Formats: sequence, structure tokens, C-alpha cells
Amino acid sequence: MITLDKLYLLSPEFILLIAAFLVLGIDIFGKRRWQKALPYWTIAGLLLSMVASFWLMGHKETVTDTMAADSFAYYFQLIGEMVVVLVTLALVDYLPGRTHQQGEFYALLLFAAIAIMVAVSATDLIMVYLGMEFLSITSYVLVGFLRNDKRANEAAIKYFLYGAVASAVMLYGMSLLYGLTGTTNLAAIAQKLTAGNLVSGYQWLLFPALLFLTVGFGYKSSLVPFHQWAPDVYDGAPTPVSAFLATASKGVGFALLIRVFVTALPAVKIDWVALLYALSVLTMTVGNFVALRQTSVKRMLAYSSVAQAGYIVIGLVAFNGKVPFTAFNGVSGVLFYLLAYAFTNAGAFIVVGAIEEHTGSTQMDDYNGLVKRSPFLAGVFLILLLSLAGVPATGGFMGKFMVFGAALAEQFYILALIAIINSVVAVGYYFKVIKAMFFVPGEGPAIAVAKPTRYALVITLAMTLLLGIFPSWFLHIATTSGLAMVGL
Amino acid sequence: MSLNAIPLLSIIMFLPLLGALVVLILPGEENQKWWSLLVTTLTFLLSLALFFYWKNGEAGFQFVERYAWIPQLGIDYHLGVDGISLFLVLLTTFLGPLTILFSWDIKDRLKTYLFLMLLQEAGVIGVFISLDMVLFYLFWELTLIPMYFLIGLWGGPRRVYAAVKFFIYTMLGSTLMIIAILALRYFYGSFDFVDLLHGKGLPATAQLAFFGAFALAFAIKVPLFPFHTWLPDAHVQAPTAGSVVLAGVLLKMGTYGLVRFCLPLFPAATKQMVPVMMTLAIIGILYAALVALRQKDLKGLVAYSSIAHLGFVVLGIFALNPSGISGAVLQMVNHGVSTGGLFFLVGMLYHRAHRRMVADFGGLWKQLPVFGAFFLVIMLSSIGLPGLNGFVGEFNILIGAFKASKIAAFIATIGIIFAAWYLLYAFRQVMEGPLDKPENKLLPDLNAREIIILASLVAVILLIGLFPNIFFAKINPSVLELVHFVKIHAAPVLITPLPTQ
Amino acid sequence: MIPLSWYLVVGALLFVIGFYGALSRRNAIAILMSIELMLNAVNINFLAFWRYLTPKEMAGQVFAIIAITVAAAEAAVGLALVIAVYRSRDTVSVDEVDLLKG
Repeated sequence: MITLDKLYLLSPEFILLIAAFLVLGIDIFGKRRWQKALPYWTIAGLLLSMVASFWLMGHKETVTDTMAADSFAYYFQLIGEMVVVLVTLALVDYLPGRTHQQGEFYALLLFAAIAIMVAVSATDLIMVYLGMEFLSITSYVLVGFLRNDKRANEAAIKYFLYGAVASAVMLYGMSLLYGLTGTTNLAAIAQKLTAGNLVSGYQWLLFPALLFLTVGFGYKSSLVPFHQWAPDVYDGAPTPVSAFLATASKGVGFALLIRVFVTALPAVKIDWVALLYALSVLTMTVGNFVALRQTSVKRMLAYSSVAQAGYIVIGLVAFNGKVPFTAFNGVSGVLFYLLAYAFTNAGAFIVVGAIEEHTGSTQMDDYNGLVKRSPFLAGVFLILLLSLAGVPATGGFMGKFMVFGAALAEQFYILALIAIINSVVAVGYYFKVIKAMFFVPGEGPAIAVAKPTRYALVITLAMTLLLGIFPSWFLHIATTSGLAMVGL
Repeated sequence: MSLNAIPLLSIIMFLPLLGALVVLILPGEENQKWWSLLVTTLTFLLSLALFFYWKNGEAGFQFVERYAWIPQLGIDYHLGVDGISLFLVLLTTFLGPLTILFSWDIKDRLKTYLFLMLLQEAGVIGVFISLDMVLFYLFWELTLIPMYFLIGLWGGPRRVYAAVKFFIYTMLGSTLMIIAILALRYFYGSFDFVDLLHGKGLPATAQLAFFGAFALAFAIKVPLFPFHTWLPDAHVQAPTAGSVVLAGVLLKMGTYGLVRFCLPLFPAATKQMVPVMMTLAIIGILYAALVALRQKDLKGLVAYSSIAHLGFVVLGIFALNPSGISGAVLQMVNHGVSTGGLFFLVGMLYHRAHRRMVADFGGLWKQLPVFGAFFLVIMLSSIGLPGLNGFVGEFNILIGAFKASKIAAFIATIGIIFAAWYLLYAFRQVMEGPLDKPENKLLPDLNAREIIILASLVAVILLIGLFPNIFFAKINPSVLELVHFVKIHAAPVLITPLPTQ
Repeated sequence: MIPLSWYLVVGALLFVIGFYGALSRRNAIAILMSIELMLNAVNINFLAFWRYLTPKEMAGQVFAIIAITVAAAEAAVGLALVIAVYRSRDTVSVDEVDLLKG
């Protein structure tokens, strides 16, 4: 039962809730000039909430039966809040001129952040479903918010149709799981399954249930074959929203994949490892090879983020359940990878957005000679692409290093080999962009980048390098966060 | 004064890195140039301290620094040099100021150029002094990016193609290497080179797999036949200073890797692979020599001669005896100086005439006597004339190879004759005969800056050629130790762990 | 009394019909309706399991009610998006919404 003295564990959520209503209120009742400050109110709320999340890390309690307040949840909350800060910075100069309802947009963004926080804390199937749907619905609206933009519209309806089907399938899987165990609590499900103490005789339903759950989470984290929405949506959505979907929202998919599979379904680990193994290979390979033949940088990034999801899943395949963790273990690998990936990929989308603002194009050809037109953007993009490609001294490298190391430690040699071949293929398309930016001559007016966008990019750049060169502290946080979840 | 208290190696490595960052914010092209020259010269002078404070006769690592870097994963910031790496570090720091001097009148994007050159130098030094596999890999990759840009931005007409080819080839090798490093960690529980040495041995099949992964990465870098196809493209297209760095130090990373890692970490596999590696080395020597004979482009000729020379180095390494490996280590330095020098010379010629086909020249002796004198000395050093540096290295390699396999030594000797043939042929075509091309009559001779560059190279050529024992005294203890280590650990291990030292 | 399996079979049938409809229909509204079918199949499952297996605990019932509520919210947003698309291109056929490709 919920007790009031534990509510402080939810303070990050409450802070954001207050911030969201404050932003809405200012938008409706505030004076004109106050509205200029809306994004900064949003950011202030997010930063406060980050402080709270960080402060509460290390707690390991359940707020109610349905929500955990553990480091694992706070870790993903921090990623979510950070990404939304970056997205908000990128929106400051993006929204004016496109819509008059800026307050609603920022408020929706804050609600999406709250949805992430709820989802990653869930320890009950009901809460998992609620969190996911909360996030999905706010995301649909964010994607289609610019009503007069045909491409955004189309992206929204595609996202919605895929999403609704996927969540219905996932819900069906949940109903089967409930039918097998008679409970919706993750820990209780694990107990019943391990003890073989099923309430109904339909044991064969367990695998379909697992499969259906995977559809739902796989959809959020854009695993092949549930990825078809991703390229179109990332391409059509307002670019800052694409950055959000490709990082924070995808992170939620992984957080739930880990949380549900590890806490509720250890009894069928063999099954989900095999399933995720196949999905990982498919995701990497399809993502990379389709990315190779893209002519639009934005779509290329979209497919590349599909491929990256494939690498991340490797960490989960290599989950070995040993406590305390071995040096190379899947869970801290996934957590670290997601952190590095969040900054890198969000930064990459923001760069693409900044260029699109000025040239109106995302085509590779329009990146020719970018270094002359904006050395800043070209330089930042270079480092981010190197990080995506997994070149050392960047966060992307450390993430891959951890995850591949975990795979080798668990003797998934073939998987590691496939991943390595894939990352060489990926170098091909990342360097196509680098080649265009630096080597191919191209003319055009200088590209001015708005100040807030600049700040966002500097943050992503600094964090990408920091995570690559001094990863120790972050690794420690990722490991303790992972441990908190496994131990629960 | 305790010298150990000074983190000399870190300073030598971070100085160019710091210099690179400062160049980015320094205003004024003159300032940037002088600053870069100052930084590289200072780095060189500091690295001389390694030489003078060297403890002669010691085989192990000196100037060791070790701090925890990523303790959770057991990754350390672990630096050190031994006889094998000492002169490679010195070679790198020595070529640093020379390449900056040579690039003095680059106009195009000078700041970026200097930044990349300094970054490159820091990366290469890092490769030679890292004793942690992950740290090594970090620097290994760090050298890749600046060279990619140096070729792609300041290269010849087909520079983009050459840059991409260079990158894809080396990236392919290094990704395999990182998987091998991770797998080594799985077998030994450590990323540290010294720990890996003293850890338990691997089964012979596993050794072969590891040897394959590492040797492939290194062979692409060397480049060993048949992985050499990227090199002529990269060399011909790269700007001169880029070629010098490429031939002078970057390629050494491959041969250095073979000596440093493949031999002691996988001794049983090494023993098994000796015939293969020797055959590839010899094919490389002959093939490159034959192609060099047919080259019309002077730069292409030097590039192929470089492949042939590195074939010798690999031959010496896989002779697996002290004279072979010592010769190979010294020959790496020689190759850096001589081939680097030849690239400088071709670059100077090209800078004047804007052509570099052999047929474009003739009778330059009369017009460019100073240039000719330097050309003659450096070319003879490359051929291996006694009294110059090339002889000492090649002679030792051949002695080593002869002990290992008489046929190999015999065929390699034919390679030396070829080298003499094509280099002398090129020299004769360019320098001797009548000065019959009117456009060549206007070429100015070397200026002071160029003379400084070439004179320092010739000084080193003579120093090594006349007093090789200064160098061998520092190289030999480490090499003897290495050979001994490989010998006692070379018996294939099945299940039982190897006796530790 | 009707056995549990009958309910489950009905649920499964509804789900499959809905899933087939969602994949094969081209009209966005029809797809929405198919999705509703799938969600109702889930609700039948939840309620049947609850009634037969754990009648004393509320979880299944609560889940069904929440699913209904969420489905309503989802449908509202979905219809709004369909209307927006319809306004900008005069069609609700997903085949004709094809700007984004590749």
C-alpha cells in the first residue's frame, strides 16, 4: 500500500508535473514576453528533477507494489531528463514560426519525460502498460503536432498505427502471462514461474506470451522486424522530436526489456536469450545494410539507430545473472551504451536539424563542403559520427567495447563476430558523410547556428568525449544501477 | 634528482597533443608555424633524455608509468619503453620537426594541417609506449584519423579515393584486433601487456586464431604482400609530409606490433607461422622490387621500395634469432630515415618542377648540385651501402635469415640487388646525362630550410652507419630476452599452463 | 458452467481477426477498428482469467478497466491524427500516405 512518507521517492515526477502545469499556465495566462521564457522554465524544471533523480539514486525501495524507486529507474530517468533538456534547447529556435502553441509543445515534452519516468520505475505489468501507453500517446502527438506539415502528419499516423498494433499485441501477451501466474507483479510472476506453481495448465502459452511482450518492447526500441515505423517517423517528425524518439524513447524500450525479462522471466531465460539473439543479428544486419544505400542523412541516421539497437541487445543476450557483476557484464554494458548513445545520437539528430533549418534539405549532396560553411557543425558532427562508428576515445567505443566484451565473456563468439563485421560495414556509411563534409567541394552560404542549439551540441560533444576518455565514474554508476535492479 | 619522479613518457606524448590544441586557438599563421616547430623540437629534445638516461644492459621496460584508468575493467594507463620501442619513439620525435619544417610554405588551411600533424605525432608516440592493450588500441586508432584527413585534404588528384581506401583497409584490421584484445582479456583476465606475458599459456589452436587476428591487423599496416594494395595509392596521393610520416613512422606500427605482441604473446603460433610469414615477406620483397622497376612516377617508385624494405624487416623478425630481430628493429629506424628522406627529396623536386615522372628529368647534377649530393647519400643509404645505416640493418637481417633458412636469405639477397638496380636507375635518369629539358634549367637549388632537413637526416644516416653499436647496445638486451622468451614458450601447449617466468 | 478455454478461444479468435484486419485493411479508420477488436480480445482474456483463476484478487479486473480507458485515449488521439491527414490530403487510405519512403 502506498504511504505518504514514501512519496518523496517520486519527487522527480512531481517536479516535472508541476513544471508542466506551470508551463501550460504561463502559456495561457502569462504575458507575451513571458512566453519567450517557456523553454527555460521547461529546462529549469528538468534540471531540478535531474537533481532529485540523482539525489535519490542509491535508494532501493518500492514506492508501492507497482513502482520501484531503485537506481536502475533513476538512471533511466536521468537519461530521459537529459535528452529532453537537449531537445528543448534545440526547439528554442525551431518552434517559433512553425506553431503558436509553444507552451503545449513544451508541456507535452515534459509529460513525455514523466511517462518515461513512470515506465522505467514500473514493477508491475499494469504499470508497464500504463507507462508505455502514456509515452506512446504523448509521442504520437509530438510527432504530429505541426498539423500543417504533411510529412509530420504522415509520420504521426504511421507511428500511431504501428504503435497501437504493437501495444495491443503486447497487452495480449500480458494477459496470457497473467493467466498463467494469476498475478501482474513482476517479482511474483518470477516466483510462480520458477516454482512451477502455475494457476492454469496452459504452460505452452508461456512462449507466445514472451514473444508478444517482445513485440511491444521491440517496437519501442525499434528492433527488426518491428522497426518499419522508425525510418519514416524519424524522417518525418520535427527533427528535435526524432532525437527524442531515437534516444530517450528507445531507452525506455530497453529498460523495460531488461526489467521485465530479468525480474519476471528468469525461468525462461534460455528462450528469451535465443529470441533476442536472433533479433540482435537481424537488427544489426538489416539496419546497417539499408543505411548503406540511403541518400538522405536523416534517414541514414534513422537506420543507423536501428542498427545501434541491435548492438545494444547483445548486452542483454550476454546477461549472465551473476551477482555481483563480473567486469564485463551485459547489463552495465547496455546501461553505459544507452547513456553514451543518448548523447551521441541526440547530438547527431540536432546537427541534421540545424542544417535542415538552413538548407531545407537532408540530402547527402547538400553536406558537400560543409566544413567551409560551418566548421562548428562539421567538427561536432565528425566527433559524433566517429562515436557512432565506435572509434576509441568516444563514448560509442566504450559502449561497444563493454557490450562486445560481455558477449565474448559469455562465449557468444559468432554473435561478436557478426557484430564486428557489422560495425565495419557501418563505418562505410558514417564515413560517406564525413567524406562529403570535408573532402567533397561544395558551395553555399555560411550556416548560422542558434545559440541554444550550440549549447546543446557542446553538451553532447563534451559528454561523448568524456564518456570515451574518462568512463570510469559513469561505468560505476551504470553498474550499481544495474545491480540494484537485478538484486530487487 | 630522481628521474623516475618525472613522467617523461607522458610529457613526450602529451606535449604534441597540447601543442595541437593550442594551434587551434593561436592566431596568425606565422605564430602557428613557429609554435608547432617549437613544440615538436622540444618533444624531440625531451625524448633525447630517454636516450641519455637509458639504463644500458637492461632488457625490461624503463621509464614505466602506471595509473589506474578504468579500474572496473582492469584497464591501466601503463607506459614504458624498452630497447625495441626506444628508437621508434626517437624516430617519431625526430621526424616531427622535420615534417613541420618541410610544410613551411603550405598555404591551404595551415592551422588544420598543423593540428593534424601534431595530433598524429602524439598518437604514434602513444602507440610505441603503451603497455596496456586498450590504451594501445586507442592510440592505434587515433593515428588513423589524422592521416585520413591529411591524405584526403592535402593530397593529389585522387586523394579522396586514396584516403577512403587507406581508412577502410586499416579499419578492417583494427576491428579484428579489438575483438582479439577482448578475447585475450577473457582468457587471461587482463589487458596489461606485462600480465599477458606472464600469464598462463594458451592452447595452440587459440594461439593461432589470436595470431591471425593480430598479425592481419599488423600485416595490413606494414603492409605485407598481399595486403599492400592501399599503400601505393596512399603514398602517391598524400602530401609529402604525409608520405614521410606514413613511411617513416605509421608503417612501423605494423612491424612494431609484430615484434611487440605477436611474438611473445603467441610464441607457439609464431613458430608455426614462420614459413608463411617468411614466404609472404620474400614474395613482397621481390614483387615490390619488380613493380618498382616499372614505375614511372618517382613517388610510386619510393613507395614500392618502401614495401620491399619492410619485407626485409618482417623477414628479420620471423628469423626469430637475435641478429635477425635486432637488425629488423634497427632497420625500422633506418627505413624511417632513408625512405622518409627519399620522400622529402621527391617532394622538394616536385615542389620546384610540379612534376615527378622519371622521364621529366635528366642531368639535374649541373642545375641542383646540393640536391644531388643529398640524393646520392640518401639513395645509397636506402640501397644499403656499407658505412651507411641501411647496410647495418640489412646485413644483420640477412645473417639472421641465413641462420633460419638459407633459401630465404638467398632470395632476399636478390631483392637487394634489385633495390640497387631500380634506385640507381632512377638516380641516373634524374641526375645524370645531359640537361636537355629547357624547363629544368630554371629550377633553383635547395634553400637553407631544406638543407637543414636533409642534413639532419644525413647526420643520422652516418651516425647509425658508423657507430651502430651505440644503438645495438640498447636494442640487444631486450631482443635477446624476447628471443629467449619465445624459444622457451614455443612448444605447443595443449592443456597444461606454461611455466611462468 | 462454460469452461475457461471457451472464453480463451473466443478471445484468441477475436485477436486474430483484429490482427488480420489491422494488417490487411488500407483504410485508417478500419485499422483503428481492428485495433479495438484486438484490445477487446485482451479484455476478454483478462476477465476470464480473473473470474476463473483468481476471483479474490482484483488485478485482472483492474487491468481490463485500465486497458479500456487507455484504448479510449488512444482512439481519441488516433482519430485526431486521421482527421489531420484527411484535411491535408483528402484521403484516409494508408496506401496514399506515402511521402516518406526509402
